[in-house]
Amino acid sequence: MPELPVAWKPQAENVVFGKEVSRIDGVDKATGFAKYSADINTPGTLHGKLLQSPYAHARIKAIDVEAARKVPGVKAVYVFPDRAPRTNEETGEPIYFEIEHEGQPIAAVAAETSGQADDGLRAIKVVYEPLEFFVDEFHLPRAVELGRARPIRAAQQGDLEGAFKAAAHTITGMYGIQTISHMCLEPHGSHCEFTDGDHLTAHLSTQNVSGTPGQFASPLGLDAAKVHVSCDYMGGGFGSKFAADEWDIACAAMARDAQRPVKLMLDRATELNIPGSRPSAFAEITVAADADGKLVAWDSHHWGTSGPQGGTVAPTVMPYVFEPKNRRTRATGIVTNRGPDRAWRAPNHPQACALTQTAIDDLAAAIGVDPYDLFLKNLDLTWSATSRNPADKDIYAAELEIAAKLMDWKAKWHPRGEAGDGPVKTGLGLALHTWGGAAGRGTCTVAIHPDGTVETFSGTQDLGTGTRTALAVILAESFGLPYEKIKVHIGSSKYPMSGPSGGSTTIGGVSGPHRRAALKALGRIYDLVAAKHSVDAGTLTAANEQILSAGKPVCTWAEACSLLGPMKVEFQGEGPANDGLTSAQVGGVQMAEVAVDVETGVTKVVRYVAVQDIGTIVCREQAKSQVLGAMIMTIAYALSEERIMDNATGRFVNADLQHYKLPRIGDIGELIVEFYEPESQYKKGVIGLGEPPVISGGAAISNAVANAVGQRIPVLPLTPKRILDSLRS
Amino acid sequence: MRDFEYESPTTLPEALAILATGPGCRPLAGGTDLIDHVRVGRLAPDVLVDVKKLPELNILEAGPKGLRIGAATPCFRIVAHEAIQRDYAALADSAHIIGGIQIQNRATFGGNVCTSGPAADSIPSLIALSAACVIAGPQGTRRVPIEQFCTGPGKNVLQPGELLVEFELPAPGPHSGSHYRRFIPRNEMDIAVVGVGAAVTLDAGGQTITAARIALGAVAPTPLLAEQAAQAVIGQPVGESTFQAAGRAAREIISPITDMRGTAEFRTHVTGVLVERVLQAAVSRARGGRS
Ligand SMILES: Cc1cc2nc3c(=O)[nH]c(=O)nc-3n(C[C@H](O)[C@H](O)[C@H](O)COP(=O)(O)OP(=O)(O)OC[C@H]3O[C@@H](n4cnc5c(N)ncnc54)[C@H](O)[C@@H]3O)c2cc1C
Repeated sequence: MPELPVAWKPQAENVVFGKEVSRIDGVDKATGFAKYSADINTPGTLHGKLLQSPYAHARIKAIDVEAARKVPGVKAVYVFPDRAPRTNEETGEPIYFEIEHEGQPIAAVAAETSGQADDGLRAIKVVYEPLEFFVDEFHLPRAVELGRARPIRAAQQGDLEGAFKAAAHTITGMYGIQTISHMCLEPHGSHCEFTDGDHLTAHLSTQNVSGTPGQFASPLGLDAAKVHVSCDYMGGGFGSKFAADEWDIACAAMARDAQRPVKLMLDRATELNIPGSRPSAFAEITVAADADGKLVAWDSHHWGTSGPQGGTVAPTVMPYVFEPKNRRTRATGIVTNRGPDRAWRAPNHPQACALTQTAIDDLAAAIGVDPYDLFLKNLDLTWSATSRNPADKDIYAAELEIAAKLMDWKAKWHPRGEAGDGPVKTGLGLALHTWGGAAGRGTCTVAIHPDGTVETFSGTQDLGTGTRTALAVILAESFGLPYEKIKVHIGSSKYPMSGPSGGSTTIGGVSGPHRRAALKALGRIYDLVAAKHSVDAGTLTAANEQILSAGKPVCTWAEACSLLGPMKVEFQGEGPANDGLTSAQVGGVQMAEVAVDVETGVTKVVRYVAVQDIGTIVCREQAKSQVLGAMIMTIAYALSEERIMDNATGRFVNADLQHYKLPRIGDIGELIVEFYEPESQYKKGVIGLGEPPVISGGAAISNAVANAVGQRIPVLPLTPKRILDSLRS
Repeated sequence: MRDFEYESPTTLPEALAILATGPGCRPLAGGTDLIDHVRVGRLAPDVLVDVKKLPELNILEAGPKGLRIGAATPCFRIVAHEAIQRDYAALADSAHIIGGIQIQNRATFGGNVCTSGPAADSIPSLIALSAACVIAGPQGTRRVPIEQFCTGPGKNVLQPGELLVEFELPAPGPHSGSHYRRFIPRNEMDIAVVGVGAAVTLDAGGQTITAARIALGAVAPTPLLAEQAAQAVIGQPVGESTFQAAGRAAREIISPITDMRGTAEFRTHVTGVLVERVLQAAVSRARGGRS
């Protein structure tokens, strides 16, 4: 028969695809059977630890590790590249390494016990020449004065001056959002072991199983083919775990030196400090509307820091989603001696949304209209993350309507500040967002055994999102099998290449290849069954562990697979492809209801609604979990989570879980997740969802607080102190 | 983490004898502070003397004369104790918010008091309810009012070789009520930015405050007995303006610091707000008969 058409099954025929199913590895995770990198303890594993700079900015004048080598129990000592002073061969001048932030690694030690590793670190002598440092992210004039500000990047369109002059309503305000850390539950790090002399096995906590062997190989002078990266389970990356990091290279180098396995996982303070942060952003914004409430002009200057690189939020996402025709954006990056940034779940978008859609909400308050109506009225000014064509504004409109129903918006909304006399004020806020989520690259091998067993091999990884379950569900739906019976093998660089899990590319990146491979397999099996049972291959389907012809059972799945011959048969899947299985471009609306105690400044999220479109849903429960996780992460950065840098010492002073305030369960409130899913969404194809739901909640919560207390609290997180300071000033 | 020896005596004299052998010995109750302090290198004891098996430190008895709480009584027993819930409710409030369930299963009031942190959640309640600390040592037994027990952040009156044995609390009179509340930026599992404990007694009609003790945590080097704040309400009618007067008086006597958990100004403001709210709750308990 001709090849089966490449498509998902008609929605009504699905048994597990798009349904609520439990994770296939849920029990393993809950019982501890699931092994993370930190759990790997092969016999003889040494404890690896880092020596880090106590200074935010300094030159290393000398390093002496000889005493450390003699410490009892110490088996290997490693000095990071270029840290030790060198001499310029031409000029004879000394070259000193420049430390750019507190906590930067200098050396590492591997020892029999953790205490001996500490003793080893204490024996290392480093001479520093402290330099002037700068960690102030907020005060732009100070950064300019000290030469820490990068040149302004500006873009302009339309007739700004004319538009502001003609506008009926204009507001100007200051807005901001502080730096946060990725704070992965499982810290960065690896367990490295050499076998057969020069074969490295690295259990690396990574979002990039297929891409990291080469990153180990090159600095260690190994063949990439001799490096095996393994990551069965990992506990969060959020964009910070794409690389074999320099401490992983240190771990591997020490394992080679000591001829013993070494494990080096970052401790909590280091995890908070050096392997990634989301840059801060502050802005002065002027935005204007005509008498109808239509946005006509925008002028913004934002600044912030990504750390030593001096980057700031990309000006291309400002203003966020709403784009008045006349606009100017300016951006200034600040070079600070703060731990560096890494991509954080929807890079740039949460900050841009928190700056933009708060200002628009302030404009609605100034006009005296419900922001719901103002947002609705301006949907034709929205852009989409992938195309910059006017997004499908009807989807936003439908999502606004659904969210408003779930929030009971029209009944509950009150004009800003009119929240009654008691000390606890309630308020509502909303915001919306956009994201791409196109499929990443991926390949897989689906093997069908003559006894009917099915397994798949793919070098992808499960960040905790449920990738394993998704693969099982796709194959189970394709073959008409129970999803628990599919054997899923992922997390090894020995399996067929699959792309890194970032940018919400994973679900599209793995689901397309698996469906394609499954359809090839089915085509083959149908042909064999058709020949054997004298039925038309075009009438065959697979369901209930049977092959059916026009709905009537022909043979069991196992009987059909036995026709493949005595050996397993493998089918390759590849992607992405432009065949409709996957696609891109999603959006969503979030609404928050808060209660603010204006005597103590404490804000509680009472109810938080997320309405999201995501194309074809593969695993409903895991998709919902993605949104719930994003909403919790949003409550964190909206209300309590921030890095606190000490201007006097250059240090990150709250780098521990007592003072780095992540919310507790009691801070979360009622979370409501609703997918926008008319038939057109199912037909759209699979799209990633990891990032979009974490974008707009910060603005929604800030808007709700402003609605409750009667004024904008400019900078997220909205801590009790910031709220009281604003209310009392 | 540094190694240490572990002793587990079953009688008080035995425990005191071990503690007398040298300054490297340290009592271990639930270990929820101590083990962490050893882990981060703040303390480096040679011997930990487990006090959980000493009967004197596990007493939990309420009677006409008052309440006795052994220093090694874990929080969960205090939370669940009916007489405490009824007559010494502030203690149950404190025990209920120290850490989470796992912590409460191990953490003791003795350990909380002996760590002597300015933000310790048990101390303002114990002060409000007039507890006395019974201390045993090489020189015999002595009693110290709880408000005099702490002498600075992490410092207290215990001398080398001394052990906190129990707390003695007088029985509150009729129409009494107490409450403890703290300000934390999160809902649970956090360290107090300000903590307020109060105990009040009303006249028979429930309209006038006849006696009061108010205690403040986390706003000075040690938890404070706020006598001026209590004076502002004693003899006064129950009502908002009385509570506000106490709040103002409390703001006058504190000396909070500015740190990343809160500025001095913020703590001062919140202290007043909490004093008002805690008094209100204590009064309503006094009126409800569940004091
Ligand atoms: C996750 C977590 C959350 C926490 N939350 C809170 C909180 O919300 N509020 C709060 O106040 N605290 C909190 N704590 C701190 C701690 O749990 C409490 O202070 C607890 O009451 C300490 O009691 P313990 O029995 O564990 O003391 P231990 O750790 O055993 O001892 C503490 C100190 O007291 C000394 N000691 C103990 N018993 C005696 C005795 N009988 N005589 C003399 N010295 C003695 C020890 O030598 C040690 O120095 C928290 C701790 C953790 C780990």
